[in-house]
Amino acid sequence: MRVAVWIAAPVLIGALYALLGALGLVGLDAHGFTTEHVTHVLGAGSTWRGIGWSLATATVATAAATVVSAALAITFRGTRIGDRVARALAAVPLPMPHLVAATLGLLVLAQSGLVARVLYAVGIIHAAAGMPALVLDRFGIGYMATMAWKEVPFLSVVAMSVIATRGPRLEEVARTLGATPGAVLWRVTVPVLWRGLAPAAIAVAIIIAGSFEGAYLLAPSSPLALPLLTYERYRTIDAARRADAYVLVLLGLTLAALAVAILEWVRARWDVD
Amino acid sequence: MWRGDPSINRYVDDWVAPRLRQRFGITLNAVPGQGAELVNTLVVERDANRRFGTVDLVWINGETFFNLRHEGLLYGPWAGRLPTAAEVDSASPIVSRDFEQIPQGYESPWGTVQFALVYDTARTPHPPETYEALRLWIHAHPGRFTYDQQFTGLTFLKCLMYALNGGVGRFQGGFDSVRYTEARDRTFAWLKEVTPDLWRHGVTYPQDIAQLDRLFANGEVDFAMSNNQNDVVTKMRSGVFPPSSRSYVPRDGTIANTHYVAIPFNAPNPAGAMVVANFLLSPEAQAEKARPEVWGDGTVLKGDTVAHRFAVPEVAPEYSIRLQDDWRARIRR
Repeated sequence: MRVAVWIAAPVLIGALYALLGALGLVGLDAHGFTTEHVTHVLGAGSTWRGIGWSLATATVATAAATVVSAALAITFRGTRIGDRVARALAAVPLPMPHLVAATLGLLVLAQSGLVARVLYAVGIIHAAAGMPALVLDRFGIGYMATMAWKEVPFLSVVAMSVIATRGPRLEEVARTLGATPGAVLWRVTVPVLWRGLAPAAIAVAIIIAGSFEGAYLLAPSSPLALPLLTYERYRTIDAARRADAYVLVLLGLTLAALAVAILEWVRARWDVD
Repeated sequence: MWRGDPSINRYVDDWVAPRLRQRFGITLNAVPGQGAELVNTLVVERDANRRFGTVDLVWINGETFFNLRHEGLLYGPWAGRLPTAAEVDSASPIVSRDFEQIPQGYESPWGTVQFALVYDTARTPHPPETYEALRLWIHAHPGRFTYDQQFTGLTFLKCLMYALNGGVGRFQGGFDSVRYTEARDRTFAWLKEVTPDLWRHGVTYPQDIAQLDRLFANGEVDFAMSNNQNDVVTKMRSGVFPPSSRSYVPRDGTIANTHYVAIPFNAPNPAGAMVVANFLLSPEAQAEKARPEVWGDGTVLKGDTVAHRFAVPEVAPEYSIRLQDDWRARIRR
């Protein structure tokens, strides 16, 4: 318990400081208790558009990464050399920092990026503008693709571990009871995988939604993703608006806590089942 | 200090630092941090009652100076006591006023720059000379112009605001809310009119000047911009921009301003900071810094200041603050 408190302490202290800042009690231009920053942030359309954009892109990117990871884990679960090589290759981008992944996404997917240059060289497009806008685009296509690609190795490692440790016995039981290969896959393997992967998927979604580097390099300026909006407020030249960043930080923390709470609720229901 | 430009970093780390060590036994450890981040750091240190902070000297300009002075986060006055202070070109309004604020010895000038547009002579042999010509150029070349969301883009917006509203003279003498609102509306009308023909139809804007530089270098847009008219030379030499790149100042004028160094209220070594500030002001250090292949930053010393063409000064910081807030709320959305 004591260790857990120490681990949580920096976040709790930071959250407390953010709360005091949000209420005008500490920080730049603090003039005593006020709810002005809270009402300003909660009443601003940009806040909810930013949260909506961050949650939507994080959800899509996480879903894509989860499906790909599960497929990889199921396809390459064997002990043949090909399976082992495939598993090792899937984990290659794991140590890559998010900043490097985002820079790579930019270099590959921008309108003057590698893909565009190849398409130009083979005559499919005739100018940079002919390449669809995949980065800094409103829908965050390049952002989601890059984030999903970055998270596949982590989720694959988890998925492979889940299948290796929990799958074989239950699948064997199902087969013994006469289940077809399809039934084993959809009624045993996939549910086992999903239950094992869910906590990791939630963690990945929170990481993506809070990722500053990826959003800074790949996300559009409108709507402004939650981490960018928070950073912008934190360093705005308007001293009176800088405490808005504390409110946004608290909103981000609340959303992360909600995601964890939902996961715990779902897990509790699984345990009852 | 802002550590985003390798040329400036080289000047500080490889030219200034060794001389400070050799001549004064001072170790200069340049750390990243700029503008609002500096203010936030000092506010947190003040809130935590840290008598001795983490930095001795900060590189700032008007908006940051405004916030630091307002919060009482600067040590001073000290700048007038520097031996080289007598050599500063205090007759120049661009040097002696920082966003219309009198430094009062709380900051010492370091260099002057002027905002300029950057273009590629191979792609754009005849760049537009006025903002009206720029408007027509944007319509004639859809998707080839944009500006960034940070400091440089804001300077572009201020230049535009002056030009479209009868010149900088109308904005001098402190902040005037009514005058600002009129000027803002006229400026935003200009922006809204060109927005459909901006890069990505103005739906998104480059996050910072580095992203705009990248778009320009990769041929996605035909103009970059810089707060330093000589920046293009350093970027060409380092291979960031194509060799046919040039910078220019539209005839309607662009903002020239001075950047300064200041000492935080809790600097552990203010005396050492003053020695460094004095060295940065020395003719030798100013001349080295002014070389385009080094940094291309204008000197602040008498007799040496480059006569800026079509230069206009900064006005009260409230204009920048309001313009940035309103641009985010009404144009970017």
